[in-house]
Amino acid sequence: MKRYTIIGPILLILLWAAIAQLQLIDKFFLPDPFTTVARLVELISEGAILDDIIATLGRVLLAFLISLAVGLPLGLLLGRAEKVYRSIEFIIDFFRSTPATALFPLFLLVFGVTDKSKIAVAAFASMLIIIFNTAYGVMHAKKSRVLAAQIMGATKAQIFRWILFWESLPQTFIGLRSAISLSLVIIVVTEMFIGTNSGLGRRIIDSQIIYEIPTMYAAILLTGIIGYLLNLLFLIVEKRFLHWSGKN
Amino acid sequence: MDVAIDVRNLKKSFNSTEVFRDFSISVDQGKITAIFGPNGSGKSTLLNILSGIVTKDGGSFHIDNFSHFEFSYIFQNYRESLLPWRTNFENVALPLEIQSKSKVEIRRRIEELQTIFELKIDWDRYPYELSGGQQQILAFIRALATKPKVLFIDEPFSALDYENNLRLRERLQKYYLAFKPTILLITHNIEEAVHLAEKIAVFSQRPTKVLETFDNPLLYPRTIQSLKSPEFDQVKDRVLSLFQRAANL
Repeated sequence: MKRYTIIGPILLILLWAAIAQLQLIDKFFLPDPFTTVARLVELISEGAILDDIIATLGRVLLAFLISLAVGLPLGLLLGRAEKVYRSIEFIIDFFRSTPATALFPLFLLVFGVTDKSKIAVAAFASMLIIIFNTAYGVMHAKKSRVLAAQIMGATKAQIFRWILFWESLPQTFIGLRSAISLSLVIIVVTEMFIGTNSGLGRRIIDSQIIYEIPTMYAAILLTGIIGYLLNLLFLIVEKRFLHWSGKN
Repeated sequence: MDVAIDVRNLKKSFNSTEVFRDFSISVDQGKITAIFGPNGSGKSTLLNILSGIVTKDGGSFHIDNFSHFEFSYIFQNYRESLLPWRTNFENVALPLEIQSKSKVEIRRRIEELQTIFELKIDWDRYPYELSGGQQQILAFIRALATKPKVLFIDEPFSALDYENNLRLRERLQKYYLAFKPTILLITHNIEEAVHLAEKIAVFSQRPTKVLETFDNPLLYPRTIQSLKSPEFDQVKDRVLSLFQRAANL
């Protein structure tokens, strides 16, 4: 990571501190960054918020793993059969364009007011993103490489295993990264609105309702940090594993 | 002399552009035949039809004992056909893996070719870290690893500087003399054609015909010295005269 990447976070904190210091927003509604961070440290050392982190991360990971397990093979298969993909593209695009939040009621009807419905709606939306990106990765494989393998006498299975699968990986990873971020978003939102006792979303909405404003900001900050770290984790794996990405 | 490739009355058009109309050519077994002709005379199209990448509109062709396992095609855009997720070694091993050859056999073949082509690279690194010239040699070794009986080469030297161009020609010649495959070589460079080929076929403009096919009597191995000989110039002049007629210059 470059040294200047630190400028962004510093700017954000300075801006936040300045707004709080100048009382541009009522202090009650926007505590300064130090109060917020102090509250966050307090929450973590008390341990209560750890359960929320574990609950949220657990749901996110489960939703992501389900979407991966279903979406990746489906995307690879559909990418191989471009005509099949084109014929069901509308369904994928339709649900991809429908805000997942609009589908909550549907999932609630099917899965009830449980963790299942939260995980299912997040997994569903993430899966579409993984399918879409993986299929496009396969379909946009360099023709020259496939052709070269065909001329060498490779079977369809060999071409898939040795060429198409690898060709799709950079685009697939973009899908995976978007999917984990989307899973987090959806899980946190569902925690706010579908009855539950744990999770960062519930922590945020509860603190807001009882005007525990520093706690609310601390939980928002924590959620943001988790989202950022998840993204960073995927970037690191991507860089390690897909060393050729962007090079020819 | 045995005929390795026989093309009869080939027809091919792209939209309204007629490339081949009753095009015929036969290629001798175990020789390097250079195809020389104006732009758009369908040189690459011919190779693509023969290798099954492009379908013909009519006519027929026959390649003696054709098998994908004994056939190689080095594309013009060789860079785009190397696999960046595979190491240099794994890239060269690909056609042999396709043929389910053993690890020992793969290693043996690659070492043999590495000696002929004098390629000194780190085999455990990746093609995108190589220079253009090294990538080109890698593509050659990959194509030759299967010891093809028939080899198509499309503009193999066009991206190389003159020095590396001469080197690669010399090594290709060394390989050819050792294994004697049938080679069809497309080139835009008269010197390359005369340097390497035993037969030179000059194509006309569209719709393409073979203007003339003639033997190049220079003896192998042809060295840099051969390039400077009067015989070399004679053959070159002959090709140029034909080309002048073909391209209306």
